[in-house]
Amino acid sequence: MRNNKPLMLIVFLLITQIFFAQTKEEIIANYIDNTGGAEAWNKLQGIKMTAKVSQGGMDIPIEMVQLKDGRQMTIVTFQGKEIKQGVYDGTRLWSHNFMTMEAEESDAEATANFKLESNDFPNPFLNYEKKGYTVELMGKETIQGAETFKIKLVQEPKMVDGQKEESVSYYFFDTENFVPIAMQSEIQSGPAKGVIAETSFSDYQEVDGLYFPFSMSQGEKDKPGQPITFTSIVVNPEVEDAAFAFPDKK
Amino acid sequence: MKKLSSYALWLCMATSLYSYAQETTVVDGSSIFGDLSARQIGPALMSGRVNDLEIHPSNNKIVYLGAGGGGVWKSNDGGATFIPIFDDYIQSIGTITLDPNDPDKTIYVGTGETWTRNSVSYGNGLYKTTDGGSNWEKIGLENSERIASIVVNPDNSNEIYVAAMGALWGDNEERGVFKSTDGGLTWEKVLYVNQRTGCADLLMDPRNPSVLYASMWEFRRTGWSFDSGGENSALYKSIDGGKTWDKIHNGFPEGKLGRMGIAIAKSNPDVLYTVIEAEQKKDKGLYRSKDLGASWEQMNNDFEITVRPFYFSRLVVDPRNENVIYKGGLRGSVSKDGGKTFKGLGNMHSDVHDMVFSNIHSDIMFFATDGGVYRSWNGGTTCEIVENLPLSQFYQISVDNATPYNIYGGLQDNGSWYGPSASPGGIQARDWNSVGVGDGFRVLKHHTKNIIYSEMQGAENVWRIDQDNKQVKTIQPLPVEGHDKLRFNWNAPMALSTLAPDRIYMGSQFLHKSDNMGASWQIISPDLTTNDPAKQDQDNSGGLSKDNSGAENHTTIFTIAESDLDENIIWVGTDDGNVQVTQDGGKTWSNTVANIPGLPANTWCYHIELSTLERGTAYAVFDGHTANDKTPYAYKTSDFGKTWKSIITGGVEGVVRNIQVDYENPNLLFLGTELGLYITTDGGTQWYKFTNNVPAVAIHFIALQKQTNDLVLGTHGRGVIIIDDISPLRELSADNMQKKLHFFNAKPTVINEEASFSGSFGAETQFVGYNETTAAQIKYHLKKRHTFGKMSMVILNVKGDTISELGPGKTKGINIVNWNYTMKQPKVAKGKTFSFGGFTTPTLPAGEYTVRITKGKDVFEHPLVLVYDPKSIISVNDRNSKREAVMDMYNMIESLAYDVYCVDAYLTYAKDKKSKKLISKLDALKETMVITSGDNYVGASEPQLREKMTNLFQRVESNPGAPTTNELESWLQIKKRYNTTRETLSKIEKKYKLGKELSLKTKEQYLKK
Repeated sequence: MRNNKPLMLIVFLLITQIFFAQTKEEIIANYIDNTGGAEAWNKLQGIKMTAKVSQGGMDIPIEMVQLKDGRQMTIVTFQGKEIKQGVYDGTRLWSHNFMTMEAEESDAEATANFKLESNDFPNPFLNYEKKGYTVELMGKETIQGAETFKIKLVQEPKMVDGQKEESVSYYFFDTENFVPIAMQSEIQSGPAKGVIAETSFSDYQEVDGLYFPFSMSQGEKDKPGQPITFTSIVVNPEVEDAAFAFPDKK
Repeated sequence: MKKLSSYALWLCMATSLYSYAQETTVVDGSSIFGDLSARQIGPALMSGRVNDLEIHPSNNKIVYLGAGGGGVWKSNDGGATFIPIFDDYIQSIGTITLDPNDPDKTIYVGTGETWTRNSVSYGNGLYKTTDGGSNWEKIGLENSERIASIVVNPDNSNEIYVAAMGALWGDNEERGVFKSTDGGLTWEKVLYVNQRTGCADLLMDPRNPSVLYASMWEFRRTGWSFDSGGENSALYKSIDGGKTWDKIHNGFPEGKLGRMGIAIAKSNPDVLYTVIEAEQKKDKGLYRSKDLGASWEQMNNDFEITVRPFYFSRLVVDPRNENVIYKGGLRGSVSKDGGKTFKGLGNMHSDVHDMVFSNIHSDIMFFATDGGVYRSWNGGTTCEIVENLPLSQFYQISVDNATPYNIYGGLQDNGSWYGPSASPGGIQARDWNSVGVGDGFRVLKHHTKNIIYSEMQGAENVWRIDQDNKQVKTIQPLPVEGHDKLRFNWNAPMALSTLAPDRIYMGSQFLHKSDNMGASWQIISPDLTTNDPAKQDQDNSGGLSKDNSGAENHTTIFTIAESDLDENIIWVGTDDGNVQVTQDGGKTWSNTVANIPGLPANTWCYHIELSTLERGTAYAVFDGHTANDKTPYAYKTSDFGKTWKSIITGGVEGVVRNIQVDYENPNLLFLGTELGLYITTDGGTQWYKFTNNVPAVAIHFIALQKQTNDLVLGTHGRGVIIIDDISPLRELSADNMQKKLHFFNAKPTVINEEASFSGSFGAETQFVGYNETTAAQIKYHLKKRHTFGKMSMVILNVKGDTISELGPGKTKGINIVNWNYTMKQPKVAKGKTFSFGGFTTPTLPAGEYTVRITKGKDVFEHPLVLVYDPKSIISVNDRNSKREAVMDMYNMIESLAYDVYCVDAYLTYAKDKKSKKLISKLDALKETMVITSGDNYVGASEPQLREKMTNLFQRVESNPGAPTTNELESWLQIKKRYNTTRETLSKIEKKYKLGKELSLKTKEQYLKK
């Protein structure tokens, strides 16, 4: 009998390799654990990411701030001037107009939809059940050559042109290490409505015990994306409240 | 021992399961091809055949279409534009149905085109999505081949009825009416007649889901005939949810029946219409029942009502008016009096297959035709084409050697065309040129002259088009003494010689050769077909409705190839399965088909591709679908056909239409099948499915452009698709794929100096095909996807300085990174507004550069060479002058930026010190340096030094060649002004000792990027 043990082990390994299936809960739990653990992620108050985007040969410095309470902003610097985009102060969503360089509020529907994302910091999978989100394991899919678990995430419905629409996205978790390497979602409004947008993630690196993707590429599925590489990610940054505030019109 | 045996058995089972699992995935190329992605370039201006339309029952903005060969598309904007939602699955579509209880999410797609012309493809079952099309699942009826209707019970979404037409080219049992009561998990065949008779139309009474009407149709195609109708065609009714069926023929004509379309009036479901194909001409036409099918009355048998029932049987009743009926047809027609009289529809492409009404008003309609989808706001009187549907159905394509090269091809029902592989602003409708009418097939460009050959169906006309002199000459071979009847295939073969550019071949049953561009012809073969008279009776084809369009012509030559290595070697393949070769220019012929193992007799030889490296090597592919055989067949011979070897492996799906061999690496082959593109890098031992933006569409022809190494696909439903530069595939050896990172060799990149105005008028709703990039491309293979840790890419110049930082690809497989060979933009002085000229990034000079990838601790380097276009008219001296001027401006713009940085710092200092005089002086100076008021649009202020500098900088950089005298004079003036400004600043600095008072960045520190 003793002699048969290695054989049994081989059989077991082979069979588990074929038949063992991860559950959606395990995949998400592994992801959270492997990138720092739920406790650390829950303690995180905010992040500041600095990047340089290359567009048509130009280097464009970008800074993004996201806070746990939902406030966020992106600062783009052109010729020494800061242009803010997608600034949310907890109530209002605004951006600088590129012509006047003055602040303008987003339309009410966009603001309401943005507000729904306030609870998604640092990522929607953390405490997803408490948020009322549903997830579903759709199976395995090869993304960028890597085998992944395809997880469907359903968040709060959004309003699109006055109609309530389900908010669905698909995350692809690398089966080796359980971190998401891509996300796909259907564009819900505007002329590109219906087109599948894809963001890929790589260069996961540790910052104070948490793992962040330092490189992303955004674009349309099956078409070349626009890469963005973060030169630094700072956790729990100090940001003045005034930075988010909608400026008074002159 | 016994136990060991059982373990061994387990081990064996587990191992075989494991290896089986591996085998089934061997053809998935997604982990190899990586960033090597295709671009779809249309054309969309003539679009392609659309089989079915479906409209959302309550949201007038949502419209679906099912294309004959181009998949399922959805519009979210009321039909202004459409996007594809079914690209991963077979593209031949029969019908689309929305669940009336969940129309936003639950959609059924029945595959397999149902208007059964000779060139239709086939389907592979019924698909369902429950999330609006993001994910699809095949839910059965895999062998139904074509599905005509799907009906979902509005009171119970789990109850579904499906009309399966079944196989077109052979017997099969998966046809008739199927019913599911569990949402499609299981199916029961509730109405079946025989192996030749399928369900062509199916309706449900909107008031009572137990009442069903089913039109059963006996039909059959062969490669040489069509037969519509028979004793078994009939109209049936069930009043018990499909348990029992009765024929409802009271008032029907006597004799055999053919295809029948049926329609029910939603506003009064007692009223039914059917269009009947009958034996007698007088009996054909539209019939109406006012009593739920209990009795029928003939209403009309005009041409449009009875024409080609297999192609036009769709009837649609206005949901708001029982007396308004639309009938598909050659032009389509409408009756407003319950079918007594009809009038034609307005101008749109001929061959109208389907019509739908908007849910908000009956005047708003959509029409499906052989030339795409049309919208109408007045019930079909005036129609406008949807302009972003690249559903064009190519039979064949070819390419020339122009820069950019052109693609030539013929389309199903849409003539012959050529268009460019790149065009300013993208490839638009206006870029395509018409070079033939009717159905288009082979279109070939003379190798050395500006002459194009094109043809129409059955070689009724073959045209030689002299592009320079705008002359069109008809040149097809004519019957002559001794050869008084020529049999041309509907898709008649035509081929050119690369060794004798004026030579052209045509194939009937004989091979015709002309050495003077078609002015005279010589027959250089005997009848190369089986010449089977049983397959030559097209005069009696069609069944109850004669249909002798030439589409069924058979026992003909279908493919011709002259060797690039020896003009005496010519291969010919025939539609009845012969593979003939001559090695003496046609004096003697050898039929090699008997040497091909495993190929059923008389299987259509669809294409023969010859090696450009070895005289005796040829590849032949065969398409058996017209004999109801969907097996893929591809063979290779290396000895002029004495022996053939199959090069197909498991996992390749769909009948094979074409094969292309690489010009450099004979083990690199490309296979076009009915379900997409397959690639092998080892001569056919292992095939990979290519999916990166190539849908599962029928690929009828593949060309490889020699200068660019672009693989050009002629699809039958999604236009032309190009995979730019497949040369990396030549290096995909096992050794290279095992390296952590392997750089692919690349030709030097030609710096793009072309400029033009593109104009994007109409692009809002018009299809625009992507251009190939003009950037330098860095291509490498990664053994494993990079996910953790840092990975970066930089470009170094010869001195080793970093001049560009790029985001590297991280994909397992092939990665492609574009670099547009420019410097970073200059650092520009901060002003109130932007200086748009300052966003200019100067092009780097030709020369040698180095790509460096750092991945963790590993560093990989590869040379990259930039060259100027050797055909450029710009001299070296002019380039040097331009570069000198541009860099002079670049540096001065940055000097000014530093000066303004200093002035701003001094101003802060002055304000702290409350030195009004200094503030005043600095403000006055700054106002001459940069714009300090206004906005970026019409509120812009007077340009100052910064704006003048950057505007000229942009102009000189953008202009080709050396700067003009005027530009240099202007620059001199700006320089003088800058020097004056600089002197003023120095004086202020000196007077107020500003340099010493403040700890400013040095210029070098400030300008560091």
